[in-house]
Amino acid sequence: MNKILLSLVLIFGAMSAHAAAPIAQIQAMLAKPDQLCGRFDQTKRLAGMKKPLVSTGRFCVVAGKGVLWRTLKPFPNTLRLKRDEIIHMQGDRVAMRLDASQEPTVRMINGVLFSLLGGDLGQLGSLFEVNGSVTGQTWKVDLKARSAALARAVGAISLEGGAYVRAIQMNEESGDKTDIVFTDIKTGPGAVLPEEAAQL
Amino acid sequence: MITQRRLALAWAFIVCLLVGHNAWLWLGQRIVPDTDILALLPLEKRDPVLQQSFTHMVDSAQQRVVVLVGAKDWPGAGRAADAYRKVLAPHGALLAFDAMSDDTQAGWLASLQPHALLLVGAVQERQLREQPAAYWKDDALARLYNAFSGPKLGSFRDDPFGLFAGWAQERAGETPVRPRDGRLFVAGEGREYVLLTYTLKASAFSLGAQDAVVPLLAQAADAARGAAPDADIITAGVMLHAAAAGRQASSEIHTIGVGSLVGIILLTWLTFRSVKPIGLTLLAIGIGFLGALSVCWLLFGQIHLLTLVFGASLIGVAQDYGIYFLCHRLRADPALGSTALLRRLLPGLSLSLLAAVVGYMGLALSPFPGLRHMAVFSALGLVFAWLTVVCWFPGLISGRTLRAGWLAQHYGKLIPRWPRVSAQPKSIGLALLLGAMAIGGWLQLTTNDDIRSLQSSPPELIRDQIKLSKLLDAPSPVQYFLVRGASSEEVLQREEALKRRLDGLVAQQHIAGYQALSNWVPSARAQAERRALVEARLLATGGPLALLAQEIGEDPQWAVDTAAYLRANARPLVIDDFMRTPAAEPWRHLWLGAVDVGGVRTHASIVALRGLRYASLPLLAGAAQNLDGVQWVDKVGGISAVLGSYRATMGWVVLAAYGVVFAVLFPRYRGRTWRVLAPTAAASVLTLAVLGYAGQPLQLFHVLALMLLLGVGVDYGIFMQEDDSVGDDAPWLAVGLSAASTILSFGLLALSGTPALRAFGLTMLVGAALVWLFAPCFSVSKDSKHATPDLV
Repeated sequence: MNKILLSLVLIFGAMSAHAAAPIAQIQAMLAKPDQLCGRFDQTKRLAGMKKPLVSTGRFCVVAGKGVLWRTLKPFPNTLRLKRDEIIHMQGDRVAMRLDASQEPTVRMINGVLFSLLGGDLGQLGSLFEVNGSVTGQTWKVDLKARSAALARAVGAISLEGGAYVRAIQMNEESGDKTDIVFTDIKTGPGAVLPEEAAQL
Repeated sequence: MITQRRLALAWAFIVCLLVGHNAWLWLGQRIVPDTDILALLPLEKRDPVLQQSFTHMVDSAQQRVVVLVGAKDWPGAGRAADAYRKVLAPHGALLAFDAMSDDTQAGWLASLQPHALLLVGAVQERQLREQPAAYWKDDALARLYNAFSGPKLGSFRDDPFGLFAGWAQERAGETPVRPRDGRLFVAGEGREYVLLTYTLKASAFSLGAQDAVVPLLAQAADAARGAAPDADIITAGVMLHAAAAGRQASSEIHTIGVGSLVGIILLTWLTFRSVKPIGLTLLAIGIGFLGALSVCWLLFGQIHLLTLVFGASLIGVAQDYGIYFLCHRLRADPALGSTALLRRLLPGLSLSLLAAVVGYMGLALSPFPGLRHMAVFSALGLVFAWLTVVCWFPGLISGRTLRAGWLAQHYGKLIPRWPRVSAQPKSIGLALLLGAMAIGGWLQLTTNDDIRSLQSSPPELIRDQIKLSKLLDAPSPVQYFLVRGASSEEVLQREEALKRRLDGLVAQQHIAGYQALSNWVPSARAQAERRALVEARLLATGGPLALLAQEIGEDPQWAVDTAAYLRANARPLVIDDFMRTPAAEPWRHLWLGAVDVGGVRTHASIVALRGLRYASLPLLAGAAQNLDGVQWVDKVGGISAVLGSYRATMGWVVLAAYGVVFAVLFPRYRGRTWRVLAPTAAASVLTLAVLGYAGQPLQLFHVLALMLLLGVGVDYGIFMQEDDSVGDDAPWLAVGLSAASTILSFGLLALSGTPALRAFGLTMLVGAALVWLFAPCFSVSKDSKHATPDLV
């Protein structure tokens, strides 16, 4: 019966958190606020498609609560990540709900996304080879998946920023590319809008 | 004298043949007793496909040692697991770590990619039937725009509607174990665990391997606790149970075995002032065993362990013949030759052999092969032992070999004062009192044939096993559905029919889920249905793909191209191809494939159940009803049923044996025949009552002991009734010595930690003691034997 366990492999890749990366300088530059919200502009270039897909919206990262990712244009669509669940809302309809009791990797995925958006490089070191460079007040980091499974799932990731993460680039093995740029970043108690606080 | 010598020589020749044949069997042929309890089922009830399914389920687990190393957090668990592995790493030749390669992780889905269009999960298949095109367009849009859109395999174009991802997610849901940082991860009870599996390179039942592995595992667990003080280590494996059973058995051999040996030596010394009688008795029993085994093997071509164990114990009756002869030799005039003495004892000895053999032959009439073998084995064993006594003992023991010891001098004085059964009020009152006590005990008697009540593994092993099954959500290896069909396609279709019923039971939480090959490889019919569904609902012209193209500003050609791209991944998936992929590795044991049954090829598979609740077993058994080719298998229930029917049959055989023995004895003892059987019958009735009072549910091993009790008890009855003109108290001495030896050899098993042996031993302990006490009560004292006619 235990053979069953051996080769069943998750879809999301394997994720975890330990061992800090030697990126102390960048770590020191990052502000790591409790609450952080802002605007994102996302451009996806997908294999087999001529036109890029552009979307914009707002995002919030709240320590201890989770991540809210609200696509506003071209149509509303919300992704909410909490410690134990991932909920995907299309308008008011729950399009997908995944919780840790059905899918044990939910916590790990959420941990990684939280680290990505917060620029928490120490948490990412166990999963990715982290290579960084600092130029003045800005830094750039390349993440290369340590396992083939994770590489297949997320591809190569690079982050840019200063006190906060300003841009994320994801190049998947399949040829799909995603660029996300963050602007209007606000921190502190006023950052989270009331409607967002209600959703988190 | 001359004839006696010839007899002895002839017997020596036969014994040489037996020893030679046994040496050839054990050393040359290396015969191994059969241990599968279900092999004891009547032949017509056996089913080769079912047998093979057991093998598939058991073999996949038997050689494995599964370890969960847990800690409060994942890094701690990782440290503990590394420490654990480090201890075992140098011992790969003994215990090999089942490493999971990174390639397996990445590659298992790649092998299924060419069939992706046909692999749709149950939920999405329902949605495909119900939801309109707009729903699928929106679904794809959300997937398009969202940065982190949940499960995703390959590029957007590979799986625009997330059907393959949904299916893969459903498959992953069949186990809670996930790879994480190159380890296997499972969480539960507030801890995070690393799963380590090892394959044992030697047999799980090899004592050498057990001795080497068990301390290593303990050492590894200590190392893990050293690396993470809060580490929780859960270990499971067939080998651990086998090792625990072995440890218990060897410690019992040291205590019970030594105790009984010392007791018997002491007893013999005190009686005969010599230990030679023990050697002689063992010689008779040993030859009986070898002879029975040889002839049984020639007759049946196989032998079951249960036959061997009980057959051997039933030959224990053979000690009575030797003791009977020895006691008379002790008491007889030394001038009387041993051959002459034997001739005088021959009628009693022959009768007691005849009664036992005829009694055991009753077992041979039952439909159960195990009981038939046992009957033949025991009867043959007795004949061989008896012949050894008759042919050899007179030559080995002369009139002056034995001298009366302290026990022999004093024990005989008890007999004249022993109470006798009579028509006196005191005697009747005592009988009534005992009768009432017996009825009281019988009323409390219950039966329990559940094999699990015979489970004797240490509680911590069972606790670990339960915890591990729960954390890993492992399927039950002993309860499952067996599905058969004329072809693999028919098997898969029948699995699908069964799964539709099981889905209802999953919804009602009777089971958590099921594992079946058809989850991975749908039947060709189901694949064709899905293909048609996907074509009609998603890929058709003007369908969701076309709508999606409009929405994102791609031209109509994009929809056509994408549909064509998807259709390229719609190659029908065939079970034989799937079995060759790495994704099939964990499920191989569920597929029996083609099985040859009497020249007919049958295809078969197993549908295993997760999160099984014992209370739901009847419901699950019902789920197989009216489904062609689907059979509910409950091995625990099956073995319990075998034990139960053996118990019931054996009970009737014991009763019938009393009747047969009575008939055999009647020509010699006439009106006194009841006196031969009464002590044993009364002892058996009271023993059962004692079991009732003690709250011990009756099971096969109690009844088997009652059969042995009949064997020894009848001997005591015969000894007490035989004409004792040779030596005054020789019969009484023989009975005492026999009963004491029986108690020391079988009765002490009551102290065993193995439930089956304990049941057997307890019955023998109480029963033999009672027969011993009762035997003189039914004997006729010297004066009355001649003076008054029999009471009956």
